[in-house]
Amino acid sequence: MQTLRFQGLTKAYGGVPALSDVTLSLSCGRVHALMGENGAGKSTLIKLIAGVVAADQMTVLRDGAVVPLRTAAEATKAGFRFIHQELNIVPQLSVAENVLLGHPAPHRFGAFIDWRSLEDRAASALAFLGAEHIDVRQQAGAMATGDRMLTRIASALVADAGAAEPCLYVFDEPTAALTVTESTKLFDVIARLKERGAAVLYVSHRMNEVLQICDDVTVLRDGRHVLTTQIAKTSSAEIIEAMTGKPVSDTIPGRTAPVRQRIACRLTTLTTRDLSGLDLSLAQGEILGVAGLDQGGQTAFLRLILGQGRIQKGLLEVLGGRAPKSPEQAWARGIAYVPRERRSQGLMLGMGVRPNTLFPHLGDYGFLAQKRSEVARTRTLADQVRLRFQGTEQPVGQLSGGNQQKVLFARAIAKNPKLLLLEEPTRGVDVGARAEIHGLIRTLSNSGTAVILASSDLVELCGLADRILILQGGRQVAVVDRQAMTPADLLSRIYAPEAV
Amino acid sequence: MKTWTLSAALRQWGTFLGLLAIVLFFAWRLPETFPTAQNFLNISQQISMLAVVAFTMTIVMVMNDFDLSVGSTASLAGIVAAALFAAGQPVWVGVSAALAVGLLGGAFNGFLVAYIGILPFIATLGTLTMFSGAAFMVSDGKTIFGRDIPAEFAGFARFGIPLDAIGLDGAKLPLMTIAAVIVLLVVWLLLEQTTFGRRLYAIGGNRVAAELAGINTRRLRLIAFGLTGLGAAVAGLMYASRVASANPTQGAGLMLDAIAAVFLGMTMGREGEPRVLATLVGVLILGILDNGLTQMNVDSYVREVLIGAIVVSAVAISAVGQRRT
Ligand SMILES: Nc1ncnc2c1ncn2[C@@H]1O[C@H](COP(=O)(O)OP(=O)(O)OP(=O)(O)O)[C@@H](O)[C@H]1O
Ligand SMILES: [Mg+2]
Repeated sequence: MQTLRFQGLTKAYGGVPALSDVTLSLSCGRVHALMGENGAGKSTLIKLIAGVVAADQMTVLRDGAVVPLRTAAEATKAGFRFIHQELNIVPQLSVAENVLLGHPAPHRFGAFIDWRSLEDRAASALAFLGAEHIDVRQQAGAMATGDRMLTRIASALVADAGAAEPCLYVFDEPTAALTVTESTKLFDVIARLKERGAAVLYVSHRMNEVLQICDDVTVLRDGRHVLTTQIAKTSSAEIIEAMTGKPVSDTIPGRTAPVRQRIACRLTTLTTRDLSGLDLSLAQGEILGVAGLDQGGQTAFLRLILGQGRIQKGLLEVLGGRAPKSPEQAWARGIAYVPRERRSQGLMLGMGVRPNTLFPHLGDYGFLAQKRSEVARTRTLADQVRLRFQGTEQPVGQLSGGNQQKVLFARAIAKNPKLLLLEEPTRGVDVGARAEIHGLIRTLSNSGTAVILASSDLVELCGLADRILILQGGRQVAVVDRQAMTPADLLSRIYAPEAV
Repeated sequence: MKTWTLSAALRQWGTFLGLLAIVLFFAWRLPETFPTAQNFLNISQQISMLAVVAFTMTIVMVMNDFDLSVGSTASLAGIVAAALFAAGQPVWVGVSAALAVGLLGGAFNGFLVAYIGILPFIATLGTLTMFSGAAFMVSDGKTIFGRDIPAEFAGFARFGIPLDAIGLDGAKLPLMTIAAVIVLLVVWLLLEQTTFGRRLYAIGGNRVAAELAGINTRRLRLIAFGLTGLGAAVAGLMYASRVASANPTQGAGLMLDAIAAVFLGMTMGREGEPRVLATLVGVLILGILDNGLTQMNVDSYVREVLIGAIVVSAVAISAVGQRRT
């Protein structure tokens, strides 16, 4: 195979176009980036060529010959492999079963699953990814986000005996849930796939990744094709301008008001089941970054302040009082939270944008619902985060991934919180909206909101935080001043084996 | 959604059209006896107990929970009231005690589900047996009837508001029907117009997310189960009043029908969520089928097969319509 051509891709949801007559050509041995703002139609394009959503119009040509593609089975048969943006693993199954899910399981005597060979195949797919540390027999639900992602990627790498050699790999924002090291491993894998002669389609909002690993780029805007070019012949400014229609600066705004004197949150030699040795305080208006490896205790730390942990030793004071005992108390006292996993921990996917934005704030409306003022408030908030949606009653499950993330952020800032707890607030958000969100965080902090920001995006951490707490296995190993801290320094601190 | 498509409209309104079709079918086959004001009033009384249970069952089903114990709660409530009457207590004491039993029994379900963390299926299956056993213990396994049941209590089910004023001479709007309508209104207000109800829908949408967004999911689940238990007790009292007696199994049939009615209604939700007005459509379908088929002298076993098949096909049609966009 030399080239794959997807022609005239068109899809409308309930009359609203999501993708209009887009054509995309991919060549073997090249990595093609697909870029565009949140809601531009990237995931829709991928769902069409994966056969999981019925296209209104689409022709697929391999070296000029038509390939039938209407169902997911036909896509697999054609040798296409996908890592979708929002699909997840099956938490109850083992890692091995997840990796081999969707592949014919190896059998013994034609009837019984050959567990040994199933595990071997899963292990070798993981080894190819450089993820030997994952035990294929453990329950997939017990793993950290990064390892789950690696499991999903491994699943796309399994070669089926008898089936055609995979010729196209599609990654929809794979690095959104990966740490820097894991991402590097993924890039290695992509390079090897390329060497084997496969075509790769790669979606990401991270410009540096795209410039680093891709050969070509196609940009979509509002479901239309705007640009296809070679990476070598373009620049990040040109790509961003093609995406947004205007130049956008992605520099993070600096602090303009000093950190206040009043303490927002103080932890004194604090120990819980998952955390230990926490000893720090946070002033109002200050932004505390939290960095660490995947499952290094960041979630437990934020949830503790949200009232979800039991303190075994030490003292926690929050906003001039005792620690909240439940998330309900926390929100009532002006603490807001953006959880890490938007779909499983954040959103009611079947429900509208309005209720999703306002759930923590329903108390403001008294006992009876007041639709009109809720709609108005939702619209204001949606504008602030640049939400792209069709109406306040549209179910959030229909929004693009980045727009779902913005709903969570809108929910958290709806009431000018006194203490804002953020986990990966810009995961999957496009360049423009990311700058917008960074701007909002900075504005809040200037006006006196204390912020705790856990992020695996080190540029974001170094750009926003005043100080950075480094956690290893739930233990506080350092609180470093952001001054003179580059993302590279921070990375080495995260991995540094600290003396106990 | 801005655009209107025929298939989407059919999916959402299909169940309602089904109800109309059923009414038209019986009106055609039974022109003399079915489409009369008196028959409709009869139907409204016949379904009033199921309606009350189904409406309050909707409250827990909004949170993706359900309650299998409503039938035995209803029986127990009837028995408790009757036993107190038999012991010479006045009507208000018996009725209040029965309602308290329902509320506490329901709250106990809620406690098991929300605070202990038992799956609703298991927890309420357990309490189903407990409540039913308790009903047998209180009544000694016997039916309480006759002079033990005060006339005022039994009278509730027989009285109605005369409708002569609107030209229906001799017809009466049964108090039972009025009771069911009041419960419907209360549940509708609670679920659709209050913060409480919105929070229940949030829990149904994603319980983990609701908790992290500051919603006290445990307390709300406890209260919701309590209300479902209270509704079951109301239905149990209505039943006891209607037959002027109480026996420890008389509520047994209510649970499956109530769940079926809510499921029928859920086929009308935009996202397949329960709505109490949609539950009303489900109750009407079940009640009218029962009434019409009985009048057509369809054997009761055949009737059960038919009703079951209709429920399954309505849910199936809606599931197929929702599958691929
Ligand atoms: N099931 C659906 N029903 C209605 N509209 C939908 C549905 N799925 C997607 N859309 C709409 O299609 C448009 C394109 O969405 P898509 O998910 O392809 O965006 P994307 O480019 O992947 O964005 P992101 O970077 O945020 O992931 C959006 O406006 C979205 O609201
Ligand atoms: Mg997407």
